Amino acid sequence: MTALARSATAHLWTGMLMVAVLLVWVALPWFLSRSAIDILVFTGIYTIAGLGVSFLLGQCGIVSLAQSGFYGIGAYATAYGTTVLGLPIPVCIVLGMLVSAVIAAAVGVPVLRLSGHFLALATLALAIIAHVLFLELEWITGGTLGIGGIPRISLFGFTFATPFRFYYLVWPSAFALLLAYSLLLRSRTGIALRAMRDAPAAAAVAGIPIASLKVRIFVLSAAVGAFAGSLFAHYVSFISVDSFAIDRAIGFLLIAVLGGVRSIPGTIAGALFVTAAPNYLSRLGDIHPLLFALALIVAVIFLPGGFGGFMANLGAKLSSGGRRPSAPAGG
Amino acid sequence: MSALLEVREVSHRFGGLHVLKGVSFTVEAGSVTGLIGPNGAGKSTLFNIISGFLTPSVGRIVLLGEDATRLGIQHRSRMGLQRTFQTPQVFRDLTVRENLVAGCHRHGRTGVLEAFLGLPQVRREMRDAAIVADAAIERFDLGPYRDVPAGELPAGRQRMVELARAVVAEPKLLCLDEPSSGLSTAEVQILMQVLRRLNEEGMTILLVSHDMELMEITSKMHALCFGEIIASGSLDAMRASPRVREAYLGT
Ligand SMILES: Nc1ncnc2c1ncn2[C@@H]1O[C@H](COP(=O)(O)OP(=O)(O)OP(=O)(O)O)[C@@H](O)[C@H]1O
Ligand SMILES: [Mg+2]
Repeated sequence: MTALARSATAHLWTGMLMVAVLLVWVALPWFLSRSAIDILVFTGIYTIAGLGVSFLLGQCGIVSLAQSGFYGIGAYATAYGTTVLGLPIPVCIVLGMLVSAVIAAAVGVPVLRLSGHFLALATLALAIIAHVLFLELEWITGGTLGIGGIPRISLFGFTFATPFRFYYLVWPSAFALLLAYSLLLRSRTGIALRAMRDAPAAAAVAGIPIASLKVRIFVLSAAVGAFAGSLFAHYVSFISVDSFAIDRAIGFLLIAVLGGVRSIPGTIAGALFVTAAPNYLSRLGDIHPLLFALALIVAVIFLPGGFGGFMANLGAKLSSGGRRPSAPAGG
Repeated sequence: MSALLEVREVSHRFGGLHVLKGVSFTVEAGSVTGLIGPNGAGKSTLFNIISGFLTPSVGRIVLLGEDATRLGIQHRSRMGLQRTFQTPQVFRDLTVRENLVAGCHRHGRTGVLEAFLGLPQVRREMRDAAIVADAAIERFDLGPYRDVPAGELPAGRQRMVELARAVVAEPKLLCLDEPSSGLSTAEVQILMQVLRRLNEEGMTILLVSHDMELMEITSKMHALCFGEIIASGSLDAMRASPRVREAYLGT
């Protein structure tokens, strides 16, 4: 087979696979219970928030536990904006993203100078501060009582009121963001990010603005996290501080790690695990947190590259007929 | 001829260690200037000061007539300065081609948001960078390695990737730290040809090396010893200088 024919068949297979995935995706809610669809909706919301965390960690080496804060900002912006100020939903969503982005830019400049454990701790501190503020700024957030009556999203007279309907809103959003992050990774900016991860000194010589790129990716991640938070608020229509605590921050980081930080589509698998596993395990009684922790440990030990890394390896093995691709000879 | 780079009375200390002691020299536009010196003479430290990795304790770096002593690395890169490292610094996980695309970074304009939104100018810039990268791959004879992660290449080829990456940035001044170390004799010959060609095309080169053979391509040389310039002149003048012979050639 010539290289051209091979790449044409590869494209054909990818195309057919995409169509199959699309059909399964469209058909899925018709065959599932309401609670199963609910899990898939949360998987979609968490995929979006987790994407930001995953890209930051995998491409910039930035461990961020702050995502629950930005997720909360998105949720409260849309809750306050729609219920108190009476603003249109799209305006509130964009507002939440902007507020998150501005805050991320302001805190990102000092915090992202840190690295390793210090950086992780600093972002953890941000998540804690955010949680405390959500609790204290009662006139916006309603404190422990929360905010209820958040309106459902409607488009052209169609209201995304049920899990079944919301499924068809959240997943196209998630897919669009997966695509956007993939485009970013393949662009010259994505190459610059990977370059500064490999050899920061050489990247600086190449003129890559390392510090400012890190801040930009952090800001993007915060805006995406806020978007996920807004979707969450409109989906559940009642929010309180409990949804934006440290466990949520850890959950988002888990999604990134389990999904494989170098893999963008892997985030879906990570989000599915983090959403579905506790839910199904809880049916086994009180030991469910322990079982979840056990499942996590097993997943991390056996899949060091996360689900995404595992799939990529499998794909590479299949396409090379089991042989490892080798470097050219003569060197 | 005008000076592209002026090193003015540069001194540097690491704690109590006085590594550079009032070093001054200029690199004329269009020249190939050599810098030799025994181990620990301070050559790499001087390179770090010229390229912005270190700020000298005393003295100034004047690049293209502008005081660059306190400018950042990226700023100097944008002004037209490129350097390589004594231990080659390739982007290990990136393919050779991606390494060179990264080398073209300063020619591009688009940023995070444009890429995220998939705007057409992002694709256009990638295409332009890929064309430049592919031409450099031809020129530096890296064809067979085009899509191989640079970290998997043999040391000599990694040096070539690093050099190619600096060249695609189209620098006015190219600073090379020991570019021939780890290369085979044949590879050194190719390197010398490449550098001569680049110089003929108008690139100014500052070369640090132990390798006297490589110094044949220089038009002017300076000998650094214990942080001081002890002699300047042509290669022949260097070979004749008793001080250089004593300090450097060990005879
Ligand atoms: N970061 C540093 N901290 C302390 N001392 C340093 C540092 N970098 C270099 N030195 C010391 O400064 C002196 C000059 O080092 P430099 O690397 O500039 O020498 P060089 O001329 O490049 O030598 P070589 O031929 O071995 O590359 C050496 O004694 C070295 O040990
Ligand atoms: Mg050195």
